[in-house]
Amino acid sequence: MPEFSTEPFFDIARRLDIRGETAWLAVLSPAADSTAALDQLQTELQSILQRPSRVIQLEHSTFEELREALHQPDDDAVILSSGTGLKQEKWRSLDIMRSALERKGPVILWLSPGDVANLTGYAPNIRSFIGASIFLAGPDSGIMTDAERQERLNELSQHFGFTGDEAVRRAEARELPHEPEFVEWLVLLGRGDLL
Amino acid sequence: MTLERARKLAEALDSRTDRELTEARLDPPHKVLSQIRAYLLRRSEEMKTRNNLIQLLRFHPAGEFAQIDLGPSIDKGATPQHFHSDSGARLSFGLTLREVERGSQVVAYRYQFVFPDGQSPQYLRFDLNEAPHADPLAEPRCHLHPGIDEVRIPFSVHNPIEILDRIFFVLEKAT
Repeated sequence: MPEFSTEPFFDIARRLDIRGETAWLAVLSPAADSTAALDQLQTELQSILQRPSRVIQLEHSTFEELREALHQPDDDAVILSSGTGLKQEKWRSLDIMRSALERKGPVILWLSPGDVANLTGYAPNIRSFIGASIFLAGPDSGIMTDAERQERLNELSQHFGFTGDEAVRRAEARELPHEPEFVEWLVLLGRGDLL
Repeated sequence: MTLERARKLAEALDSRTDRELTEARLDPPHKVLSQIRAYLLRRSEEMKTRNNLIQLLRFHPAGEFAQIDLGPSIDKGATPQHFHSDSGARLSFGLTLREVERGSQVVAYRYQFVFPDGQSPQYLRFDLNEAPHADPLAEPRCHLHPGIDEVRIPFSVHNPIEILDRIFFVLEKAT
């Protein structure tokens, strides 16, 4: 399998936003927790593109169902999911109906790793819609790292002049102020239960 | 007598704030993060400023709670981690959410907008405390600091995007 670049969903949604309507691209789903990843992709598409998004399962859709689903409506963002992978015959039949797949809104093919070879081999026209725009689903780099969390904890401790342990003790004694900085402190310490 | 009345009114205001917060539902925390990031991206593009939102916004889920931070917890001057406007103003915030069934609730927040050097007031900070203060007249649960840490003016509860609306479409216009 060729090397594909890894991109967070935020960046993938940005690519579609910059390209405007009728854009196509493909995303290789992660092996683990694919359902959660698909939900995150939908979230980013809705936030960045400011339009609804839908998931359509390719495996169980007939030609007529797929054509209707893609055009009613035709301007939202659609994710065509191959599930655990499509058979060669299914890719062939999708390729034959390629003109029926064209629509106003963006289309994202959500593929399993094994789909890329079949897409290239049996659906060359759909492959050409996508061009080089195939990406590996990457983790959201907005997640705070442990080092960043520690840095914030140190900053809070220095500013208020007492340690995290003391903050917890005061929270347990109901002596910690209710201001947002102290709330953040407890959450970063994993002691949201004291709120 | 007048002070007592003022305190009762302040208590009543905090009670209304509490009711509003209990009733308000936001999307789950990761969706709120995504919405804020997209919102700030638009504002940054409009201003033609370079703010790397994927790096600036930090998300920390911890059990039923989630923390969304931009910039330092305590503003002690401009840093690369702030959101910077073309006017020279800067923004930092911290937002704590509690995940509830099919969504989330706001627990607390702090949004600090610092005007460009030389403007007065130097900053405005919108705070929502996690619980009422013993003296709600001096410290209403939801309040605004008008450039003075010790002064807290009552402010109505806004959702995370509405506060950003006030910051970008009102405060930023005054820079």
